[in-house]
Amino acid sequence: MRKTLIQGVITILLFFGTWFVLKQIDWVKVFNVQKVTNKTEQKLGELLWAVFSKNEKENTSVYVVNSLDSIVTFICKANNIERLSKKVHILDNEDINAFALPNEQLIIFSGLILNSENQEELIGVICHEIAHTELNHVMKKLVKEIGLSVLLSMSAGNAGSEIIKETAKILSSSAYDRTLEKEADIKAVEYMVRAKINPEPFANFLYRQSAVGNNSPTDLTWISTHPDSKERAEYIIVHFKQSKLTDFKPILNKRTWEKLKDELKNSK
Amino acid sequence: MEYHKGIMIYKGQFVYEPGEHEAETASNSYLMSLIAIIAGLPLPIINLIATLIFYIGNRKSTYFIRWHCTQALLSQLSVLFINSFGFWWTISIIFTEVSITSNYLAYIIAALLFNLTEFIATIYTAIQTRKGIHIEWWFYGNLTNLICKSKS
Repeated sequence: MRKTLIQGVITILLFFGTWFVLKQIDWVKVFNVQKVTNKTEQKLGELLWAVFSKNEKENTSVYVVNSLDSIVTFICKANNIERLSKKVHILDNEDINAFALPNEQLIIFSGLILNSENQEELIGVICHEIAHTELNHVMKKLVKEIGLSVLLSMSAGNAGSEIIKETAKILSSSAYDRTLEKEADIKAVEYMVRAKINPEPFANFLYRQSAVGNNSPTDLTWISTHPDSKERAEYIIVHFKQSKLTDFKPILNKRTWEKLKDELKNSK
Repeated sequence: MEYHKGIMIYKGQFVYEPGEHEAETASNSYLMSLIAIIAGLPLPIINLIATLIFYIGNRKSTYFIRWHCTQALLSQLSVLFINSFGFWWTISIIFTEVSITSNYLAYIIAALLFNLTEFIATIYTAIQTRKGIHIEWWFYGNLTNLICKSKS
């Protein structure tokens, strides 16, 4: 009886031991597990972007586009993220908002840039949205909220424009669920730390915007759709403190950052 | 019982010499789980059900057959736990927000290794029991000895 028991325990330990040893290897890298940007996602991305490009004005100023491009490229390079697949669109809209669309598209509202006190705040939000695309949150959210069958019929061109508009609205003005938001926040802090950007202003931004709340003249879409901003600011700080990073370098120089804001103000 | 001691398997003679029919049925109990693995993929419970039906069908059979049906059933039980966990983990990745991590891949590889070991051991045991040779597995053999007793 005792011998059987010991053998049983050894068998269980052997399994968990094998699992533990195998866990030490970065299998995601070994197997090159990457998000497959399939045709459905690509088609959905095109359809949804068409909704925004039709109803909103895209800012194509060379200075604005290049400045944002520098930020995204820097973050991607520091974190080994493929830059070419990411598409960045800046929309002239006063709302403080940024979101990700399928097919790795990032939409940034000029209101967000203008209301960021420094570039680190903006970079924090961009990193958060890059994290959503990298962690495949966009498609997961759509599958959950709309259903795969509707998405497939949308990509096949069989859905009405109302459904597409509604889907665009879900992505631009509703939050991901709590665990996904936290996952994206923590990933954003990791991206920032690797790029030697101080995540503290990003936490301050969340804290400040949540405090401003409904008294603000502008629509705080990004904050109101992301619940518990104070709590988020706190765990961003906690996570950042663990990195012990003290040597920070801005991506844009001060003049470029100021000029970027001026350009956006003038294009209003 | 006379044994040739191996690392994970004991090979030897049973308390009595099993007849041709007994050896065939005992061997089939292992084959049953192999066929069910192929037929039942990816659902991990099919092979357990198959061996369970075979076990129930033969529970009044001779000691040699009962013994091997029990060992085949017990060996499926532990793989069931490993595979069920892996199966539901995979389902949660496909249908929910859970994403593929190195932890998950390590689990799947570990599960595959255990399944492969079990698969090879099952084939080997099926061949040997067909020849009337008694095979006791590490842990499962002892466990079977505790559960399955000779009626005489």
